Amino acid sequence: MGFIMDGLDAEEYDRQYSDWQLVKRILGYFKPHLWKMIVVGLVVFLSSVMDLILPVVVSQALDQLQFTPETFDPIGTAIILGIAASAGWVANMVRQWLSAEAVGDVTLDLREDAFNAVTERDMSFYDQYPTGKVVSRVLSDTQAFSETVRLSINLMSRLLLVVLLIIYLFTVNVNMTWILMAIIPFIMYTALKFRTVARRTVTNSRRQLATVNAHIQESISGIGVAKAFRREQMIYDEFKTVNQESYEVEKINGFVFGSIFPILVTIAGLGVAAVVWFGINMAQQGVLTAGQWFLFIQGMGMIWFPLTSISSFWSQFQLGLAAGERVFALIDAEAVVKQKADDRVPAVKGEIEFVNMDFHYITGEPVLQGFSLKIPPGETLALVGHTGSGKSSIAKLINRFYEYQSGDLLIDGQDIRYFNLSSYRSQLGVVTQTPFLFDGTVMENIRYGKPEASDQEVTDIAYKVGRGDWLVSLQEGLDTQVGERGGNLSMGQRQLVAIARVLLQDPAIFILDEATASVDPLTETLIQEGLDTLMGNRTSIVIAHRLSTIRHADRIIVLDQGEIIESGTHDQLMLAGGHYANLYDSYFRHQSLEYIERMAG
Amino acid sequence: MVHKSEFTIEGLREYNRSSAVRWIMSHCFEHKLYFFVGLVGFALTYIAFSGARVMFGRGAELIIEGGDAGAVIAVSLAVLILSVSDGLFSLMGSMAMVILSTRVERDSRHELYASLLGKSQTFHDQQRVGDIMARATDDVRQLNFVIHPGIMFMFDMVLGFAVPMAYIAAINLELLLVPIIFVISYVIVVRRYMRRLEPVMMQQRMQYGTLSARLEETISGIEIVKVAAQEIEERKKFRRNAWKYRDFFVQQGKIEAAYLPLLMFGIAFGFFFLHCLHMHERGILGIGDIIAVAGLMQVLSFPVFISLFSISMIQLGIAGARRILELIEQRSDIDENLAGYSAAVEGAIEFDNVTFKFHGSTVLENVSFTVEPGQTVAIVGQTGSGKSTLTQLVSRTYDVDDGRVMIDGVDVRDWNLDRLRSQMGKIEQDIFLFSRSIAENISFGVENATQEQIENAAREAQAHDFILSFNEGYQSEIGERGVMLSGGQRQRLALARAFLRQPRILILDDSTSAIDSATEDEIQKAMRRAQEGRTTILITHRLSQIRWADRIIVLENGRAIANGSHEELLGSSEHYRRIFARYGAVETPVGQLAAGGGA
Ligand SMILES: Nc1ncnc2c1ncn2[C@@H]1O[C@H](COP(=O)(O)OP(=O)(O)O)[C@@H](O)[C@H]1O
Ligand SMILES: Nc1ncnc2c1ncn2[C@@H]1O[C@H](COP(=O)(O)OP(=O)(O)O)[C@@H](O)[C@H]1O
Ligand SMILES: [Mg+2]
Ligand SMILES: [Mg+2]
Repeated sequence: MGFIMDGLDAEEYDRQYSDWQLVKRILGYFKPHLWKMIVVGLVVFLSSVMDLILPVVVSQALDQLQFTPETFDPIGTAIILGIAASAGWVANMVRQWLSAEAVGDVTLDLREDAFNAVTERDMSFYDQYPTGKVVSRVLSDTQAFSETVRLSINLMSRLLLVVLLIIYLFTVNVNMTWILMAIIPFIMYTALKFRTVARRTVTNSRRQLATVNAHIQESISGIGVAKAFRREQMIYDEFKTVNQESYEVEKINGFVFGSIFPILVTIAGLGVAAVVWFGINMAQQGVLTAGQWFLFIQGMGMIWFPLTSISSFWSQFQLGLAAGERVFALIDAEAVVKQKADDRVPAVKGEIEFVNMDFHYITGEPVLQGFSLKIPPGETLALVGHTGSGKSSIAKLINRFYEYQSGDLLIDGQDIRYFNLSSYRSQLGVVTQTPFLFDGTVMENIRYGKPEASDQEVTDIAYKVGRGDWLVSLQEGLDTQVGERGGNLSMGQRQLVAIARVLLQDPAIFILDEATASVDPLTETLIQEGLDTLMGNRTSIVIAHRLSTIRHADRIIVLDQGEIIESGTHDQLMLAGGHYANLYDSYFRHQSLEYIERMAG
Repeated sequence: MVHKSEFTIEGLREYNRSSAVRWIMSHCFEHKLYFFVGLVGFALTYIAFSGARVMFGRGAELIIEGGDAGAVIAVSLAVLILSVSDGLFSLMGSMAMVILSTRVERDSRHELYASLLGKSQTFHDQQRVGDIMARATDDVRQLNFVIHPGIMFMFDMVLGFAVPMAYIAAINLELLLVPIIFVISYVIVVRRYMRRLEPVMMQQRMQYGTLSARLEETISGIEIVKVAAQEIEERKKFRRNAWKYRDFFVQQGKIEAAYLPLLMFGIAFGFFFLHCLHMHERGILGIGDIIAVAGLMQVLSFPVFISLFSISMIQLGIAGARRILELIEQRSDIDENLAGYSAAVEGAIEFDNVTFKFHGSTVLENVSFTVEPGQTVAIVGQTGSGKSTLTQLVSRTYDVDDGRVMIDGVDVRDWNLDRLRSQMGKIEQDIFLFSRSIAENISFGVENATQEQIENAAREAQAHDFILSFNEGYQSEIGERGVMLSGGQRQRLALARAFLRQPRILILDDSTSAIDSATEDEIQKAMRRAQEGRTTILITHRLSQIRWADRIIVLENGRAIANGSHEELLGSSEHYRRIFARYGAVETPVGQLAAGGGA
């Protein structure tokens, strides 16, 4: 089956843990539930004893029936059987009850850890790994893991039963017990053989599921484009391939798991036949009674069943480990952005300094080279330049989303690498280039960065943005549902919500990355008025192509391929007649009514 | 009934969707062969297994009453053959079930996906991708479980009870008394148990969907989570949802813990044994027979024991099936209209008194205008006035509530949808790129585009140079939704994608908003070339582009309040002037006017 296994992608951050490491880590999750697990252990013991009583009582009853029928008490025997069954059932109930709670909690903890890891991974992590696959790790893999743990507890009780049974059988007849046990190595051997194969197929199957997940996630997110371009067929064909691959892998996986049990049954069949043959012979020699013989046959069933389940389960267990491994790999993934310390950041004044910085996302595609820039506190700095010149990248670096390769980035003279990022970022207000809204109302979205804000505060802020004109066109004002990613709002409206969200945060540093690019000029001017007063005495970085919005900036920087080629105020740069003047001129041509009139006329 | 669908696939099988169980069954019957091989395999398994129990009785008789070596060998051999064939038959049954269940998983996911592709945008607007993912992967996987242990359970129920009971009856009919009472009460109790379990399972699945949707959203918006430093808050939200799921899980565990049939079996076995002993006293039943029937009675514990798992599996599966069906069965409002009008598009567009509502609230109201073939019409208006929505009516992404949208004089609802859409090219405002290579993204709208065509389109969109600056050029992967590109780069890829398509009607929705004005100059030239000979709907805030439109429509709050050429509107529309007048107030660039040249 090698050909199917090849080419299934493990993620780069996947790593191998030894079984022992995994088990240790999993046990760590059970620590808080220690007492529950102790009680579970006790009732497991109790129920094993009760399970053992049944065949023993039956076999002794048969012996009595054969040899001393006159003193035999059938009703008493039946009552003992009934009591054993009831006690066993109660023990079982307690076990399941407690282990459901423990497993539920452990899975919850694991999920939370996985989710925390999700919030901690760098932006570069998400550039690389599709959402669908990450989701699959946090939910499906933890799910598979929890199922396994539940089964483990179940099987522990069976294993105990085997031990108790064998001990008891030795007291009945030593030779027969050895014959019975002769089968164990065969079962174990087969089971271990399966182990290797099973682990591989199971990992592949989980990967394949993640791939299916990722495909569906992307194609459904982009369904609008597929429809507009009428390329459903292509997407559908791709899906068919992915789905078929998943089927092949799943089928192999099913074969492996589905065959373990029957194959072991077959092996056990040999054992049963041996017990029958030796047993009858011994009994005919008078070493064994019919009742005891029956007990050994029963015992065979009681031993191989748990052993088989344990061995077949062993692969089930592998499934759990494989899933656990994937979750732990997510949790342990190396951060690319490395902080050297975790210093809380007191109120930021707003000085930002890039010192001789080199930065790239992908080796060989430099974005910034030897970049130096000092922004004094309170300055409004405008960044202009062609698309792809690195403007958004500068904003992302200030956010500490990506690791730079050399140089320094200082905030208020402090190295950004020493900051506690959460306390630092909460003082930044960033409107990203593509506005992202969460499913919910407009109000909830504005409140996102400051959950404790009152409705009144949110409303006030919303009305400050462009004098609140935009709220009129919303069907239900601030209570309008924005839909997934804000899809029920127009692009411009989404940008306005994003601006309001940042204004409410009242940050020390403002970063507006083409924050009004999709807004009409009229609304934009209105917003600008509001922003100007708000940005007044804070450090602000404004990225815009509509140059009218940045004319009043304290300083304008023109970037070209990551280098500062011009710097100064609007008037200075216009006078210098360089790159900016050119840009402004062409922009002006695009935008000025009078100018267009004049040229046309 | 036949559903409306925007996209149909030839030769797709029809399944019975009238209920979740019937749907699953109709999927199973697609692979009848495996179903029956499985059934036969398991029947033989039970026959062999129970047969071995009967042989044990023989063996006991040999011990008690004595017998020659030949008889001993015969019995042992019979046990050997029965036990081994037990294993082999169950192997056969298992394999058949594996094939059946994985095929059903594949087919049902296929069916779901195909139906999703056919649903209209209105439907997709209302879905959360994360929830769809949960349904298409996990719920579908649950279906697999319904069959694998699930249907096996039904076999077990029937065979695991019937076969040993038949053997028991063959030994002595009277002995059936206890097993029959047990089976009857078992059925009653199990039904009650299932009723109790069902709602918990359904809620559990639903909560799983919610969890998945929330998680998907957080990851998609991770940048915002980070800039707003809301990690802690997000964790709390996740915890709340995960906690709810945990509660349903524990609830399920507790219901399962109190699974009565296990107890009932224990007690039934006591009575059964008593019955055997009683019959022994009456001299009807030998010890050998007691051993045989005790073994047979224990076979009954199998289905009882296994049903504890399989019932939960089945219920999860049915809950999953319901969720899948719910999605498949949702009505879609737009139909592919295969028999509809099908012709080459000339490019005349007419809005005739169009009113459109999103969920009951009016977005466009009585909009009327016409565009001649080859003309360029610009739509201007404030944010939220309905510009983007208007273009979506042209491509029939949504259907109007009142009035008509006509292309070449034919109502879009009467057009063959495929012909209509495949002659349009659109750059949506909210650009979506796929996580594939740049070349694949550009050629997305065209089958078998050559590298040369791709490069030409990229050049027109001023994208060629930046593409070449990447290590892998046109083969560079751009990440999910194109995250590895800058905003303007994304827009230029979208432009190239639309250019390559050579559409009859070109829709440009704010397609240069993230592009600097110098680059835009170049793109505008290409756009002007692209507009030649084709009808163009242009939404932009750049006056220079609007200026050259043949006709401009001014929207305010969903009403077309003015309509005409630039010159006409300047004179007649206060609103038009207002939107753009601000720029007039911007001071004239020093000494640059002349240098700028004609726009
Ligand atoms: N996440 C990323 N991974 C790889 N490359 C990126 C990523 N984001 C941006 N780039 C590249 O870095 C360069 C600068 O991009 P950006 O800073 O977004 O430009 P802009 O000035 O338009 O905002 C571009 O060439 C872009 O392709
Ligand atoms: N999918 C949708 N569901 C509900 N409302 C929507 C949807 N898309 C847009 N709207 C609403 O319709 C109005 C017009 O939006 P749109 O056409 O995108 O405006 P714009 O003129 O800015 O392009 C807005 O008020 C917006 O909130
Ligand atoms: Mg940018
Ligand atoms: Mg729009």
